[in-house]
Amino acid sequence: MTEPKPASKKKGCLGCALPLAISLIVIVVALSVFGLMGGAIGQKLFPGIHMPAWLSVPKPTISLPAEAIFNLGPLPVTNTILTSWITILILLIITFVATRKPKMIPGKLQSIVESAIEWMYNFCKDVAGETNGRRFFPIVTTIFLFVLVNAWMNLVPGFGSIMVQENGVNAFPLLRGANTDINTALALAVISFVFVTYYGLKDGKLGFLKQFVNVGRFFKGWGQLFTGKAKSALGNIGFGFIDIIVSILELVSYFIRLVSFTFRLFGNMTGGEILVLMFMYLFTWVFFGGVQLIYGFELLIGVVQALIFAGLTLVFATMAAEKHGDEGH
Amino acid sequence: MDAATIKLLAAGLCMGLGAIGPGVGVGLVGLGALNALGRNPEARGQIMTYMILAIAMAEAVAIYALVIAVVLIFVV
Repeated sequence: MTEPKPASKKKGCLGCALPLAISLIVIVVALSVFGLMGGAIGQKLFPGIHMPAWLSVPKPTISLPAEAIFNLGPLPVTNTILTSWITILILLIITFVATRKPKMIPGKLQSIVESAIEWMYNFCKDVAGETNGRRFFPIVTTIFLFVLVNAWMNLVPGFGSIMVQENGVNAFPLLRGANTDINTALALAVISFVFVTYYGLKDGKLGFLKQFVNVGRFFKGWGQLFTGKAKSALGNIGFGFIDIIVSILELVSYFIRLVSFTFRLFGNMTGGEILVLMFMYLFTWVFFGGVQLIYGFELLIGVVQALIFAGLTLVFATMAAEKHGDEGH
Repeated sequence: MDAATIKLLAAGLCMGLGAIGPGVGVGLVGLGALNALGRNPEARGQIMTYMILAIAMAEAVAIYALVIAVVLIFVV
């Protein structure tokens, strides 16, 4: 969506001939003024000027719950589910095409896929260590790729323009970014939660559970009280009580994590989409520096959010899987 | 004040107040990252990765406020 013009403008007098640069700058400025006046802000500022209708974008209607396209038995299939299926298909096709005939000297696609996977693999190994990194790598990378492809697919021009008609009027878009539906984000969060808990139980064993039910010192203190070591008993009971409170906090924060995973992803994706639509409405698309900036920012946000979701899953899994000492937490 | 006005006011206040904490947080993360970078310029790549992770963690709090504001305006 970012037009090549700003880039050539930047080179300006250095790159192209002076007349060309000046005319490009004039075109860009003219389009920007034109675009500003066509948008909602310009319409309010200069109420007398009427702009052509194709320039202005209607005020976006935002619906947070996803719309059902059709029913599959008792289950409604929403547009966000359709998009996540398409995401899975895209990932499958890319992986299949890239790795169908692997060569020693990789072609373009193969080397792109390989370097992406290798980068993610190194990231896993850096965070989780050699053995754990290797074990956690598949699911972490799956989450990363799913969120990333989803976020970028949302930004493809024309993605949300295919409308479903209901009673002859355009009702809602056929495709909608899967993570703008809170259910998809919640599903991903539950997957990561189950993953972390599984490795916590498998590797951390009792140490993992002890974080949440840390009553050892408390009862030890009571035992000491009855066997006559009053001084250390009181200390142990006091600190044991603090241990119990800490473990309750730990348990609560373990479940809050689920909520924060969900809302972080959902909020970022939805917020980004609303931001792009609002900028379109406020400035129109020919206003340079408005939508284009936000669009580039959203590309970055997509990677960062995917990395965060995958990275946090990785970090929590590593923390849960590490062998806890006698001290516990 | 009628309900619609209060709704708009609440959404604005929610976003404005909710952005204070994350703003401070992102600033502190940047401070820490730049300090670390000044001490150890070779670790640029690693610092960058962790800085972005930490910034996004701080920013998530603002995103919660954004979600509430959006819900206030468009849903409630």
